[in-house]
Amino acid sequence: MDKILTVCPYCGCGCGLYLHVEDDRIVGVSPCINHPVNRGSLCVKGWNCYEFVHHPDRLKFPMIRKRGTLVRATWDEALDLIARRLTEIKRLYGSDSIGLLSSAKCTNEENYLMMKFARAVVGTNNIDHCARLCHSSTVGGLAAAFGSGAMTNSINEIINARVLFVIGSNTTEQHPMIAMHMLDAVDSGATLIVADPRKTQLAEFAHIHLQHRPGSDVALLMGLMNIIVTEGLVDIDFVKRRTENFDSFLDTLRTFDPAKVEAITGVKIQLLRRVARIYAMEKRSMLFYAMGITQHITGVDNVRALANLVMLTGHIGLPMSGINPLRGQNNVQGACDMGALPNVFSGYQTVTDPRARKKFQNTWRKKLNPKPGLTLMEMMDMAYVGRLKALYVMGENPLLSDPDLGHLEKAMERIDFVVVQDIFPNETMNYADVVLPAASFAEKDGTYTNTERRVQLLQRAISPPGEAKADWEIIVDLATRMGYRMHYRGTYEIMEEIALLTPSYGGILHHRLKEGFGLQWPCPTQDHPGTPYLHRKKFAKGLGTFITVDYIPPDEPPDKEYPFLLTTGRIYFHYHTGTMCRRTVVLEREEPECFVEINPEDADSLGIKNGWPVKVTSRRGSIEVKAKLTGKIPQGTVFIPFHYAEAAVNRLTNPAVDPKAKIPEYKVCAVRIEPLYKMPVVKTPKPPEVELESLRIEE
Amino acid sequence: MKVKNREPAKQENNIYRPIKGTIERIKKQTSDVSLFTLELEEPVHYKAGQFFMVSVWGAGEVPISVTSLARKSTRIEFCIRRVGMVTGRIHQLKEGDNLWIRGPYGRAFPLELAKGRDVVIVAGGIGIAPLRPLIETFMKRKKYKVSLLYGSRSPDDIVYLDETRKWKQQGVNVVLTVDRPTDGWKGNVGLVTTLWHLAEVDFKKSVAFICGPEVMIRAAMQDLFFFGMPEERIITTLEAHMKCGVGKCGHCYAGKLYICKDGPVFSYKEIKEQSILNLGF
Amino acid sequence: MKREWILDKNHLSYWLRQLRNQMQLIAPMRDQVGDIVFKQVEHIHKIELNCPSLLPSVKEFFLPQYERLFEYSKKDDRVVDSISKTKRVIFGLRSCDVAALNTLDRFFIDEMPDPYYKSRRENSLLISIVCNNPDPTCFCIGLDTGPYLKQGFDIQLTDLGDRYFVQAESEWAISIIKNYHFLFSRPQKSDYDDQYEVLLSSKARFQKRISLQQSRQLIKSGRIKDSFWQGITSRCFECGGCVYQCPLCTCFTVVDRSYNDTVERARLWDSCLFKGFTRLAGGILPNEERIKRTKRWFFHKLIHYPDVLESFGCVGCGRCTVTCPGRIDMASVCMKLKSIALNGEEITDEG
Repeated sequence: MDKILTVCPYCGCGCGLYLHVEDDRIVGVSPCINHPVNRGSLCVKGWNCYEFVHHPDRLKFPMIRKRGTLVRATWDEALDLIARRLTEIKRLYGSDSIGLLSSAKCTNEENYLMMKFARAVVGTNNIDHCARLCHSSTVGGLAAAFGSGAMTNSINEIINARVLFVIGSNTTEQHPMIAMHMLDAVDSGATLIVADPRKTQLAEFAHIHLQHRPGSDVALLMGLMNIIVTEGLVDIDFVKRRTENFDSFLDTLRTFDPAKVEAITGVKIQLLRRVARIYAMEKRSMLFYAMGITQHITGVDNVRALANLVMLTGHIGLPMSGINPLRGQNNVQGACDMGALPNVFSGYQTVTDPRARKKFQNTWRKKLNPKPGLTLMEMMDMAYVGRLKALYVMGENPLLSDPDLGHLEKAMERIDFVVVQDIFPNETMNYADVVLPAASFAEKDGTYTNTERRVQLLQRAISPPGEAKADWEIIVDLATRMGYRMHYRGTYEIMEEIALLTPSYGGILHHRLKEGFGLQWPCPTQDHPGTPYLHRKKFAKGLGTFITVDYIPPDEPPDKEYPFLLTTGRIYFHYHTGTMCRRTVVLEREEPECFVEINPEDADSLGIKNGWPVKVTSRRGSIEVKAKLTGKIPQGTVFIPFHYAEAAVNRLTNPAVDPKAKIPEYKVCAVRIEPLYKMPVVKTPKPPEVELESLRIEE
Repeated sequence: MKVKNREPAKQENNIYRPIKGTIERIKKQTSDVSLFTLELEEPVHYKAGQFFMVSVWGAGEVPISVTSLARKSTRIEFCIRRVGMVTGRIHQLKEGDNLWIRGPYGRAFPLELAKGRDVVIVAGGIGIAPLRPLIETFMKRKKYKVSLLYGSRSPDDIVYLDETRKWKQQGVNVVLTVDRPTDGWKGNVGLVTTLWHLAEVDFKKSVAFICGPEVMIRAAMQDLFFFGMPEERIITTLEAHMKCGVGKCGHCYAGKLYICKDGPVFSYKEIKEQSILNLGF
Repeated sequence: MKREWILDKNHLSYWLRQLRNQMQLIAPMRDQVGDIVFKQVEHIHKIELNCPSLLPSVKEFFLPQYERLFEYSKKDDRVVDSISKTKRVIFGLRSCDVAALNTLDRFFIDEMPDPYYKSRRENSLLISIVCNNPDPTCFCIGLDTGPYLKQGFDIQLTDLGDRYFVQAESEWAISIIKNYHFLFSRPQKSDYDDQYEVLLSSKARFQKRISLQQSRQLIKSGRIKDSFWQGITSRCFECGGCVYQCPLCTCFTVVDRSYNDTVERARLWDSCLFKGFTRLAGGILPNEERIKRTKRWFFHKLIHYPDVLESFGCVGCGRCTVTCPGRIDMASVCMKLKSIALNGEEITDEG
């Protein structure tokens, strides 16, 4: 039995674990004890991450759609067909009629190659991935303020923090190993402040829990900053030396007086004052946020407000002091870093910048398109009007993860040629013309970048099933068939090319990663030890910028017809579209069916009992789910997880997007709820009255 | 204890290995319950109250209690309700298809308790299945006075309707009741626990066998105890999630007992003493 | 029959090399990041002889996390059981793990023998090492499961600096030592003294003293109310880590996997800390509240294990202390119970 150290394929924590391998099969998992993130622990998904690898449903052969059905084909047939069709479409309709979706589940090397394939081979900047749906507002918001959009601190700094302010993150369920550090910090005396409309498990441990209304985050944060300013808690030195544009920001801030904020958010002034004082007066204050901040039409504004808050109090640029977006996917940080985005190359070098373009052109020996491409949602809109002719999807499942699925299905039907490359059959495959089988995390090597910017090495443990190949091998082969020769002996050579072109990854090479638990970027040179916390001494872009934001109410607030506010998210036992976890016995057994969390008082007024089926309807569609009564959710709000294809909540969600980051508003839409089951009213004859006492037999 | 023999073990009986049975007959009882008659490769010796792990390859195993008369035979019957994935697959099978079984497991009903006593049998829904061989045994032996209180969801959900008629002819005091009557139902309506007066026995001197949903079991046991029936003569059989049937997998562990190996038949006394947690007794 | 020998440390690698020619050799190996894992040995000189800390359990070699039970061939309608017969020597495990295996033997083999466990057990030789230097998380000392065993081992080594004091108990173990008699010598009086010295000093190095017996009595006395368990439970992450790491947790689930021509029936580790573990037909969850599941785990180990198998369901290895992200573990819970016992404090439902 051999044990191979690798990285967990689920969330952005990037826990280290061993895969136990016997006869080319994985027979178990154990946590890595010295790993700085998980320290000998794992969450339930980590402990069970090995199981789906050998699932019978794994895709083992390439398939081509013939007369409506997907039939087995050889790699040559499949790749030649893709090469021919893509070349054809490029010739007839132009490069920009082709869209490519990269994957936050794939390695850095694969994302880099996909980006190179899109830009150098296909010739388009239409490349995007699911970060659009989770943290695109972070990338945009923090980049504008600081020049870099990532967690500024490291996970192992949490234990020494004095104040933890967590907003819009259900950390114990979604980043369990980070929550472990947070609770340890609370044990050693840190103050925990949680802002979340739901009463999450972390909120139970919070010293202060702010239950603000969904979608009122900007108002809440502006209110806090207003108090900080009026009470004189601003770090004036920091604001003077390291930031700009404070004065114009101050004008807007003055309009958010605490009374107004209380009216918008529903949080008492008194609580606001306490939070503002605690957060501002302690120097080792860490701020954490996740989807509750980003998935709004004001996502970017929410992030900017947070950025303003840390600059105002000077809580950035030090260990245990900073702003920390918790990234969802295991490699969503990496996929963004690698430039699987329509507007940037790897390392966030913009495609419009002629110097960056020239550098890439020289290395790739190909003229590059200077026009930023389409985002994920824009690609689908173009497809809807028939202007996107081909779509290449690597390791994503937009047909479950994107909002307003009804619209998306029509869009997908109108695309001429769809390629899907994945490890399991998924909903998107119903529209695929060619399906390519990929290798899972256990069957390839490469690197993942976790949420704290730690680039870690993934090690191959077993061989892929059937004819499946690693994603990077597929892209290399396809590019070569399309007349652009790519040749790499292994993923380490791709990493070398990344290091060459990407300043923040400049010193990150596979042989260095092998020696420990990876390196945290920026790591510009080969002798650089990595950077545990960002913005030391100066911000990445020089001076930090205060950006004025204003409160905008959610796009679709509840009304008479749709009286409930629906918010969506993940649950502990499942992960995103469920392709992996729903094929894991223990995880699937725990939560086998979709549910809607509803406050018992709301349920009562609707005549709904726990476990009853209900119909949830929005302006865009309706689904049937089971009701789950819980006091964790406030009245007037309901929650549905989005993992379940059979009751896809994204049939309901609002496709309205943030105008800057194009992130859809998953967290707020209006719905109505009707019970599907009514207590049967049967005319029952009265049962005979029995006097039980009369039956009792005396001793 | 040490493992004495360190030489490689001889091929022993594998307790998890099922034997093959062929479905001879499927008799539909209600919309979701059918009676499966199997012919096995080799004879098994089973008693009323015991259960088998029944499986379809590719779907999994489920515990099903035996519903045919105790004997050693290659013939066996199971009465199966369609509730989950595995039972759903079993219901898709046709006559001539294979079912794999292993067992019998668990304790049988303590028939000796009934010697010289009146018998009250309380059943709810599919809970009649393990009690059927019991009733037939008592009828065969002829010297017992048996009362059957049997509650179902609706008249269409009565399992073994034909048998209840037969038993009535043989002298069993059959009391049927339903929760939701349909037009034309003339029998009792309501829970079985409202019909004790129809049992027509001296509870203090009789023995009770109960099987059905958990709430019904709990209510019936408490009532009978209240009527003066000694707690060791109130017998029930419990349902639990189980994967192995032999006390290894841990799913049915309750108190310090395994429902599969120390049960599934328990007396009220045992349930109270061992505080079988899951049931909240 | 002499059962005690002295093995010069210089001879150890030769001996292990010889054993490896006949059997698969499993030993604790340190990897590039400083973790110690039990795995098949490639380079004998890389075996970690003085594990300072955090040795994983060897449970997985007897009850693997994922184990195929049967393979059913759809074409021939035949069932083949896949019982592992790999001969193994596991070197370098600790007394607590040997003690745990002895308890598991009672559970798996005495009644209704589990052929998979039994075969793995019968084909494995255990060479355990006395802990000279227990971890801060260890508390085997109060449980007679360590730091050394008086009986119940195959071969037990005590590190005497330049040599090992070797004790063998099972016949297989004795015969293996006799095969290499030229490596072993008779112990002298001074060797016995040295060995006793090591045992004594090891005992003195424990940082934790936990009395499971006290906790058991306290729970049985009924003084511990649900509010206590509620407090313990509120931080549970439901990861199952304590169960997966515990050398005495054996719960499993069974799954059928249907491939093209075959069906694989496999068992894999499961945990009573999941609500679906006791799911009944029709989706009823008898243990939906987390507190019931926490109580179930602790009660099983402290109350029911001793009742049924005559030893606690805990060997004091402290692995749950290391792995639990919520810092709920046997040691800390027993410490809390102890403080209740000492303070005579009545824990009521009001808290």
